[in-house]
Amino acid sequence: MAGGFAYFLPAAAIAFESTGVLPNVPSPSPALLFTPSPVPSPVPVVQGGPFTVLLLGSDDDSKFSGDHVLTQSMILVRVIPASKQVIMLSIPRDLYVPLSCGYTSKIDGAYSCGGAGEAIATVQQNFGITVNDYIWVGLLGLIKVIDAIGGIDVVTSNPVIDDYYPADIYGGNPFDYQRVAVLAGPQHLSGISAMEYVRSRHGDVQSDFGRSKRQQQVLLAIRQKAKQVKPADIPNLAAAIGGEIKTSIGLDRVAQLVPLAASFDNPDAIQQIVLLPPYTHGGCPGTSVCPNWGLILPLVHQYFP
Amino acid sequence: MISRFILAFALAALMVVTGVGSYMYLERHQSKIAAPPQKPTQASPRPDAFFLPGTLYFAQSGAIYSLSTGRFHQLTPEAGWTQPSLSPDGNSLITVQRLQFWSDVWALTRFGSIEGRLTDNAGHGKCYGDTGANQWSFYPRLSADQHTLWMSYDGPKFVCLGFDDYNVNLSIWSVPYGGSIAQGRSWTTPNDYTGGDTQPLPLASGAVIYTKYSYDSDGNRVGQLWYTNRPGSAGRALTSTADDCMEPSLSPDGHALAMICTYGKQVSHLVLGTWDGSNLGPLGGVITDQLVAQPIWAPDGSGIAYLAPSSPDGPFQLWFLPRLAYFPPTPSPVPTPLPTPGGPYTGALPTPSPLPTPPPVVVKPIQITTNLGFDATSPMTWAS
Repeated sequence: MAGGFAYFLPAAAIAFESTGVLPNVPSPSPALLFTPSPVPSPVPVVQGGPFTVLLLGSDDDSKFSGDHVLTQSMILVRVIPASKQVIMLSIPRDLYVPLSCGYTSKIDGAYSCGGAGEAIATVQQNFGITVNDYIWVGLLGLIKVIDAIGGIDVVTSNPVIDDYYPADIYGGNPFDYQRVAVLAGPQHLSGISAMEYVRSRHGDVQSDFGRSKRQQQVLLAIRQKAKQVKPADIPNLAAAIGGEIKTSIGLDRVAQLVPLAASFDNPDAIQQIVLLPPYTHGGCPGTSVCPNWGLILPLVHQYFP
Repeated sequence: MISRFILAFALAALMVVTGVGSYMYLERHQSKIAAPPQKPTQASPRPDAFFLPGTLYFAQSGAIYSLSTGRFHQLTPEAGWTQPSLSPDGNSLITVQRLQFWSDVWALTRFGSIEGRLTDNAGHGKCYGDTGANQWSFYPRLSADQHTLWMSYDGPKFVCLGFDDYNVNLSIWSVPYGGSIAQGRSWTTPNDYTGGDTQPLPLASGAVIYTKYSYDSDGNRVGQLWYTNRPGSAGRALTSTADDCMEPSLSPDGHALAMICTYGKQVSHLVLGTWDGSNLGPLGGVITDQLVAQPIWAPDGSGIAYLAPSSPDGPFQLWFLPRLAYFPPTPSPVPTPLPTPGGPYTGALPTPSPLPTPPPVVVKPIQITTNLGFDATSPMTWAS
């Protein structure tokens, strides 16, 4: 017992520290692996029933203050345990919608006006769906997650070459640039290489839509690799990831989800959806894209009832 | 009655034993998913290990290594070295050194000493602060006559573009060996915003096979093998967009092409096709249950080496597929009755009894390494 306690002490310490941080932040805490953060009106999941998770990814470098970050990546994931199906739908970051905090703008701004709660509320209100949980990850978080599981295998679809990729993670000046060249083909990606692959959009004719496809590739690779994680790995993972992920999913739910994830072994049961034109089109202010709700809503309600 | 002291001592001892035991138990039940790859030079060959013929060169963690008679040798420090390619005379390794903002092609001896730098891709501050003023060179190869350096190159940038040119694509270039990029020629026109044309495979005829990245009719990014025999010509596709093929490798006799194809999924099959010098025959999958990368033919024709994870989602290891797996032996001819010595025989000839059909021989790939982490974007090169 003492050894077991000592073994899990790092994870316990992180959880304890996060508990102390919670009251000081207005929105979901910058908290820790598997430490639930408050979300307004979370919808409980029926035991063994389908559920929807909103995955949020942000540039959270020092260009931004506190929790006032944009969510460059917003992916709805529907998990149907009974049929072992997963549906991933990428919401374009530039989608021009009414935000739940009162004005109309790109949907990636919802998080900046109220954290995960506002992002969820905006998605629910516009898409007419129910979100059960969320997971938010920052730049360093994604890198640390992938490194903590020892990297991922991905068949990168084409050379991703960017002469003006932001050098804002490890550099001193968050406004600096660097060159990136992620070569094509099957390879084992470290956290930093995977981040470059999913974050760059300059060299992609589909811009944010192309990037969304790459993000889904990497998410599936993380899920695949995570199947090998054992409970005894949790302290090291928690120590590695600590402080970089926020989620509404509690430890009890994680315990249910780990065996569930391991049982999803048919890649053909995973559907990936990106809202390319004609689901979206130009004509909205600035660089935002207009939603074609007449097409989007039937599609979304087909997969996210 | 047991004294309190003895009871306390016994409980304390029990606590220590169970505590240490629990800790050790949990420690043993950790997965090894995050264990870093071993350095190749730390791997010692087993006495019964399978030895590849000749010397194989490859990259790991920014260093070039050789593998000969089961032993690894580190040829360069871990300083961005990758993509070695043996010169046709077998004396030099044409290699990329990749730094943060640019990469250059270097000629090294087969023991890793520097012979000379073949490109100059640093921006040299010509456009102050503009990272785009630097260049990339990848996948270098020498022509059969060693007079020409082939590579993927992102095109000369003669003017300062001012942070607004995001359409950076590699194309296939040929440059006189030892010459400057100003003497070079662009052979291909890459599709915009796809990353471009890569992995040139110069042929003895002067033509080149390469991988072109483009979009299919559904907007999916795909790789295709292309063939062209003169600079600036459109050339022609050797594989379909649906096959999504890349990383071509020509057999030593020049009659077969190995490649990997994904068929639009997160898989990569080892695929072979016959090659007549300008046309590719029907493709056949040889390995379809692994994530295969960088196939290369043994110089003696004994098989194909490639990189693949040994466990799902693990780092890439070295594998070898013996020739029998993809070129099964020709069955022995059925014996025909010979004329009887001494004169013609007019009677009925005995019917030869049919040979029993041998069971099909299943030849499996041989895993050469276990705990290494090869750079799967780096082609390997093989000396006899």
